[in-house]
Amino acid sequence: MRGYHDIGGEDAGPVPKEELPWLYWEKKVEAIRNLLGDATRRLVSLDELRHGFESFGIEKYQRYSFYRRRLEALIDTLEIKGVLTREELEAELAQVKHDWTPDTAGASNSDKA
Amino acid sequence: MTKPDRIPARFQIGDRVQVLDLKLDGHIRTPSYIRGKTGTVIQFCGFFLNPEDLSVGKTAGPVYPLYRVSFAMNDLWSGYERPEDDELCIEVYDHWLDAPEA
Repeated sequence: MRGYHDIGGEDAGPVPKEELPWLYWEKKVEAIRNLLGDATRRLVSLDELRHGFESFGIEKYQRYSFYRRRLEALIDTLEIKGVLTREELEAELAQVKHDWTPDTAGASNSDKA
Repeated sequence: MTKPDRIPARFQIGDRVQVLDLKLDGHIRTPSYIRGKTGTVIQFCGFFLNPEDLSVGKTAGPVYPLYRVSFAMNDLWSGYERPEDDELCIEVYDHWLDAPEA
């Protein structure tokens, strides 16, 4: 079957020759992916992620950037395997965001100390 | 961990090979633009777990032979208006290849 990601040979116009920045969060996604997929863990393979974002549906696939696709597929895969849930992740993100927001950081940090 | 079974290599460097169209669903790494095309094995890359297995969490094997195959650009793209000897080299797993149709 030809998936929506299999675009080799399609008419796409000229290739934009600009160097894109490699953002910090994108590097972190790759670092986390490497750790989760290494020989001691084998929790997620790169091919599982590819299978994941190749099953997103074309609309979601095209809306997300390269690293966002990997990140979302990574979360999906970890959820399928029972490693974490989206709810747990959202709660953790909210907590970190709270801790690092300047107005509340002081109070929160002293709570923890 | 036991060593995974090994699918024997059927092709050698210099062999002409035709890419199959296996009509598989799921994650595959053989792009549509080489399916049905005929090329030449230029390198044996080694034995690797099949990405089709890995994509569904199957890591026990077997391992498959992987080859680097060269195709003439003129065979891949109609109206390719570049030098005759331009080629595209791409890695293809053994089970996606066969001897060319006579």
